[in-house]
Amino acid sequence: MLVSSGLVSSGLVSFVLGQVGRASSDVPLLTAAVVLPAVGAIATALVSRRRPESARMVATLFSVATGVVTVAVLVAFETGEADFQLVEKYTWIRDLDVAWHLGVDGISLFLVVMTGVLFPIAMFGGAPHHDAKSFYAWLLLLEAGCIGVFLALDLFLFFVMFEIVLVPMYFLISGWGYANRRYAAMKFFLYTMLGSAFMLVGLVATAVLHARGSGGDLTFNVLTIANDQGSIAPMTARWLFLSFAIAFAVKVPLFPVHTWLPDAHTEAPTAGSVILAGVMLKLGTYGFLRYGLFLFPEASAWFAPAMVTLGVIGIIYGAVVATMQRDLKRLVAYSSIAHLGFIALGTFAITTQGLQGSVIQMVNHGLSTGGLFLLVGMIYERRHTREIAQLKGLQASAPIMAGVFTLVMLSSIGLPGLNGFVGEFLILLGSFLTRRWWAVVAATGVILAALYLLWAYQRVFHGEPDEDNAGFAEMSFREGMVMAPLVALIVFLGVYPKPVLDRIEPSVAALVAHVEDGSDFVEPSVAEAGTDAREETFAEAEAAEEGSGGEGGEDGEGGEGG
Amino acid sequence: MTLGLLAQAGDGVAPIDTPGVAWSALSPILVLIGGAIVLLVVGALAPRRSRIGWHAMLTVAVAGGTIAAVVPLWDRVHDDGPYSAVASAVGVDGFSLFVTVVIAVAVAIAALLTDGYLRREGLEGPEPYVLMLLSAAGAVMMASANDLIVMFLGLEIMSIAVYVLAGLHLRRRRSGEAAVKYFVLGSFSSAFFLYGVALVYGATGSTNLVRIARFLAANTLADQGLLIAGFALLLVGFGFKVAAVPFHSWTPDVYQGSPSPIVAFMASGVKAGGFAGLLRVFVATFGTYRLDWQPVVYGIAVLSLVVGAVLAVVQTDVKRMLAYSSINHAGFILIGVQAATDEGVTAALFYLAAYTFMVAGAFGVVTVVGRRGDGHHHLDDYQGLARRQPLLALVFAIFLLAQAGVPLTSGFLAKFYVVEAAIEARSFWLALVAMVSAVVSAFLYLRIVLVMYAGAGDGADTDPAAGRPRLAVPAAAAIALVVAVAATIGIGLVPDPLTRTARDATPELVAASD
Amino acid sequence: MILAATPISASWYLGLSALLFTVGAVGLLVRRNPLVMFMCVELMLNAVNLTFVTFARELDDVGGQVVVFFVLVVAAAEVVIGLGIIVGILRRRPGATADDLSLLKG
Repeated sequence: MLVSSGLVSSGLVSFVLGQVGRASSDVPLLTAAVVLPAVGAIATALVSRRRPESARMVATLFSVATGVVTVAVLVAFETGEADFQLVEKYTWIRDLDVAWHLGVDGISLFLVVMTGVLFPIAMFGGAPHHDAKSFYAWLLLLEAGCIGVFLALDLFLFFVMFEIVLVPMYFLISGWGYANRRYAAMKFFLYTMLGSAFMLVGLVATAVLHARGSGGDLTFNVLTIANDQGSIAPMTARWLFLSFAIAFAVKVPLFPVHTWLPDAHTEAPTAGSVILAGVMLKLGTYGFLRYGLFLFPEASAWFAPAMVTLGVIGIIYGAVVATMQRDLKRLVAYSSIAHLGFIALGTFAITTQGLQGSVIQMVNHGLSTGGLFLLVGMIYERRHTREIAQLKGLQASAPIMAGVFTLVMLSSIGLPGLNGFVGEFLILLGSFLTRRWWAVVAATGVILAALYLLWAYQRVFHGEPDEDNAGFAEMSFREGMVMAPLVALIVFLGVYPKPVLDRIEPSVAALVAHVEDGSDFVEPSVAEAGTDAREETFAEAEAAEEGSGGEGGEDGEGGEGG
Repeated sequence: MTLGLLAQAGDGVAPIDTPGVAWSALSPILVLIGGAIVLLVVGALAPRRSRIGWHAMLTVAVAGGTIAAVVPLWDRVHDDGPYSAVASAVGVDGFSLFVTVVIAVAVAIAALLTDGYLRREGLEGPEPYVLMLLSAAGAVMMASANDLIVMFLGLEIMSIAVYVLAGLHLRRRRSGEAAVKYFVLGSFSSAFFLYGVALVYGATGSTNLVRIARFLAANTLADQGLLIAGFALLLVGFGFKVAAVPFHSWTPDVYQGSPSPIVAFMASGVKAGGFAGLLRVFVATFGTYRLDWQPVVYGIAVLSLVVGAVLAVVQTDVKRMLAYSSINHAGFILIGVQAATDEGVTAALFYLAAYTFMVAGAFGVVTVVGRRGDGHHHLDDYQGLARRQPLLALVFAIFLLAQAGVPLTSGFLAKFYVVEAAIEARSFWLALVAMVSAVVSAFLYLRIVLVMYAGAGDGADTDPAAGRPRLAVPAAAAIALVVAVAATIGIGLVPDPLTRTARDATPELVAASD
Repeated sequence: MILAATPISASWYLGLSALLFTVGAVGLLVRRNPLVMFMCVELMLNAVNLTFVTFARELDDVGGQVVVFFVLVVAAAEVVIGLGIIVGILRRRPGATADDLSLLKG
């Protein structure tokens, strides 16, 4: 019921937004998407400390308005175009040719929309217990930074946005987190900043060496540098790619530099975890696409085996460690590592399908893991524990919550018909073309995901509730409204991903072509190329995978019975 | 030239030909010294205690006057190019004028902080302000010196005044100790500097920077030993003044012991003077011999970056932390020096300008938190500051995050320009070391921020700082802090004006035309 | 006899001043009495003076000799300030040495 009402309401909203988007095609939408939350942050900060309710109102207003703007961007977006759209460019620092240069293409489009949607949800779902004003102000500032990262077409601007998000997140974790929050916040900040240190040097070197190689002036324009591949020697470009890759690998996080993630995710307040998993990890994977493949195609192709390997290690490692977790939130955190491993795999398979899968999987992971963190937050609110062993039989007293949890969890596992399947399948398909054995190993990760999530579900929700868990309250209407849009999107993307894929595809195909131009890498052709062929293969494979997905489900069922 | 005439005069009774003094070229220095004298006289005549901080206001006015005096000179340099005055002993170029403004700003901020400090500590009189102005005059002299001896005089004027300022708080033993330490090590380094001047004089036959530069460009020395030794000794002298490793050992002690507002001036104005001299002598004059001194400066920069960052982490006294972090920042500016290019100089100047606001502001907050007796500088004294005084904590957090190099603050751009200069000069590893050291020192800044924001959400009864009195922020100090925050954020958002000015401010050595 | 035969060249003066400078520098580092440390600084400055005069004579340039006057003035100023600071401390704690200045661990 919730699902349907969510669908209806989201349909209504999107209709209204369509009108807004059409009416405002001349408005600088992208600037608005970045500036609006920043203004909101200041406005919220100016509200009196004694009136947390008005702070909440102001913050909600601004974050919803930002969400409206991002959806307007979606509406204004021209399907079938590979290039950047709605480009805006204003000079910022003349001296360095740094510009406020924003643009959106198929790769960034849905990340922006997801950010716009997820923030209001996180705000509703994770209200703070104290000092609401600062909490919301930091959250809005974080939103501005995240959207800025996705839209920036200028290296300098990108770095500014990439770094600035650390500050609000640091304060969110250290101010409103759980017991071990100070340690987690510090670790998060230093890890990411260390990565950024490498990136800053690489970024400046890229601009300087490009200017020197091309004989032109210094510029930080991503498009200029990326389309002028000859100006940086291949060997140098590999070093530069590496410096960027370190920063993104920390942010994603890939296997050896992932250790900040479980701490940060577990200790962060619910809203912080949702944003951290849903949006901030994507800054890294998006960075790989835009500042890895696009900026250094040759180096990306050269490093692809290593990156794919790290991704696969992440998939297996995340899954195995998640299985052993006793803390529900930590389990979800480790599952993120596995999911992000998939995205890295798809990215560095460098095939149209793989990249499409990666992009859509970024959105899917934001929705499903964000949803899981919200649900874990709700459980913690009631029971003040996240220990799996302490929770038992919640299904009995909270069937709706159990249902929602099941759905979101299945989406995370990648059950056909839900959004997670589309992404994981495309990634596996794409990577199978270029990295067969890696794809095979990664596929076992899907099964492991089913294992640890269903096992956790079984322990938490099934069985007879003991006296501690007997009084577990059902989902409130408010909580239902928080989850409804997520559930709606999860189902919608799972059932009918075509509109999304259609918008992603041209940009992704252009990116693959760009990599082919810049290196001796050649994308192996699937049976046929083109949209129809993809559709066909997709349908075929869906039928084929149906069996394996079902098996995973049966495993779970078997477990439940035991 | 004059000296040559003197020597030739022989037994004749030719009148001594004194060089023409272009007073206008000296106007910033004259304003500072004149202001100091006026302040001294007024201070002697007027009652020593007054409710309104006349002394501080007058000092700020003098600093403003200095900046006003720079404006026509800047225009002239911009239109007609740099020139030098007083028989080529003082150069007027964009560089000296830029640094002059930075030093004047440092004086103004420090004076505003000093006012409240003196009242709180029950000290009185115009002397601190007078000394600060004189010290600033010395720093300006260093920045504009075209002669090593003039630079030495500037160095001494600057340093001697600051030795006294360090010992300003007579009743605090730490203050006296800081003064003695600073004095002994400072004069030690001055002697090294002077010996370096002597050796360079011996090797090149002149103490005038213009003539030295010409000599080095035109001649190849058969025996470079004397010159290189001179470089080394000069570097030691400058190294002490700018607090670079391994000449840094005085910094933490002196910063900890000296009165906090004075430290604000030491870390901004005095450092600016030291770096101005370093850039003028090494980059502008010894540029032709850069291959000889660049590796040494490279090493010093790396050491300063690493040692400053790492040792800062283990401190528990906020003033010592900031002292070590200032060593780290000195390492960053040395990267600009090491590049020995116009980009490097621009980056160093930008860094100095940005750092002046950040560090003066940070020590401004330290002054306020130090409370009566100027002794509450332990990390614990900052516990829960955000709860009691959210604005003060926010301001301090901004200064600290700016020093850590968070974007949209001046600190980020300062680091950015320095890294850019290093990369233009192909010092990739140096740039990398610098950025990694910035991460290490970010740990330290975050530690302070964390302590300040601790206690929020822990429930009122667990707040260890609940019983502490509210800190009084004097109006003058509040103005200084607001100005510093505005500049830190403003430069971070709109860096263009400052960058363009810094670009116009590379040192150029020009002989007097007379 | 042999010594008298050897002409005293500029190198001797330079050597002597380097030696004096070293004595001053080492003295400052090893002695603990503030006043003696202070005298060591003076020794260093005057060693430099000797260098300047030697070079002035070698180069036949009066500039080096003029420098000496500047240095003398600066040294005098340092004396005034330095003694002032040291006396200020000693008056409060008679018999202090540099080792007693230990509130600031360094």
